[in-house]
Amino acid sequence: MVDVTETILVRRACEGELEAMQQLYERHASRVYTVVRRLAGDDDLAQDLAQDAWANAFQKIRAFRGDAAFGTWVHRIAVNTALTRLRQVARRRDLEQSFDGSSTLGNPDRYPASGAADRLMVQRALDKLPDGYRAVLWLHDVEGFTHEEIGDRLGIAVGTSKSQLSKARARLRSLVTEKSEEVVDHGSSN
Amino acid sequence: MVHLTNEALSELLDGGPVAGAEKHLAECPVCRGELEVLRELREELRELPALEAPPKIWDAVAERLPAGQRERRAKLGWPKLVALQAVAMAAVFVIGLGLGRWTEPEQPAPMDAPVPGLVAQQPTQEPQLPPTSLTDALAEVQRLGAQYDVALRNLEQLAAERGAQTPSLAAERLASLNALVEASRTALATDPANPTLNAYLFAALEERDAVIRQMGNSQGSQNRWR
Repeated sequence: MVDVTETILVRRACEGELEAMQQLYERHASRVYTVVRRLAGDDDLAQDLAQDAWANAFQKIRAFRGDAAFGTWVHRIAVNTALTRLRQVARRRDLEQSFDGSSTLGNPDRYPASGAADRLMVQRALDKLPDGYRAVLWLHDVEGFTHEEIGDRLGIAVGTSKSQLSKARARLRSLVTEKSEEVVDHGSSN
Repeated sequence: MVHLTNEALSELLDGGPVAGAEKHLAECPVCRGELEVLRELREELRELPALEAPPKIWDAVAERLPAGQRERRAKLGWPKLVALQAVAMAAVFVIGLGLGRWTEPEQPAPMDAPVPGLVAQQPTQEPQLPPTSLTDALAEVQRLGAQYDVALRNLEQLAAERGAQTPSLAAERLASLNALVEASRTALATDPANPTLNAYLFAALEERDAVIRQMGNSQGSQNRWR
């Protein structure tokens, strides 16, 4: 169903009305901030990215044709803004940071866990991942990007994206379980 | 026993084929458990809660917008104008209706002219599209806005002459706004993206909500509401 209020807000924003922009912002601020925060891994960068994303969105709002919901459109801009920044950072740091090689096979009994504390643990572990790992993991497992799409966005090969994903998952698992005492050699295909 | 590699487990998690994996998983509880842990972790990731954006972000965004946009805070956008016009349309209709009931049968209502446009119908009737074009309807709305003021003054004068209170028009306004909502929706069924019709619908819904809220607030009160 068409969101009439949002359609009108977009129209007013296209006409340059600041109040309408603010209302659109308030409707979708959480969604945008969440995705850039997850991709950024820290609060300061996330705030910069959110500002960039919204500024970009309002600068090109006349290009919004209403094919998708405004929230979907601005979410896409946020992801692109974050990935562009990550690529810039990666040029300086090396996006394809390798996993440190420690085994990830822990005691399965230590996981699963549930509840707010565990979500916090996962959230913190996600923040600790190298940028490249975190980006690939989030884009693939949460945003639903294919490896081809991730490769395009991050400027890496499909095989690299797959490799990053497996390492990111293993690393996340290791961080969440804080390394089990019962370590079994898992090996690597490298 | 040699366990599955991280790459193999990741591939299995995504449903990809891994040679010999099925047999290995059937025999190896460690790898089965590991795969299950990865699956649960992925679910945890997907269920991470949404985050609240720090308040200062909007201020920074607003500062980055072109100066021309920042200065347009107080401008009355056309949807607001349409909202006011829709209220006027509804009010003209219900004033005529309400006054007709309230006054003596032989006394002509101050607003007995037919009201064209979206609300020119009895609230109980099935909504119908107006015969006029949207441009004509908007022009008519503006004309009715002026009549609205006249009608209100006449109503108050009549009430003063009779020494009676002005009757509550809330219910009539609500019925009229319902008719306006239905008329807008009927029209939108044939042209869902029409911005003017969407604005009408939005304005009518907003006004109807306001009327309902005011009706709720005024229940039990001796104050008249108009």
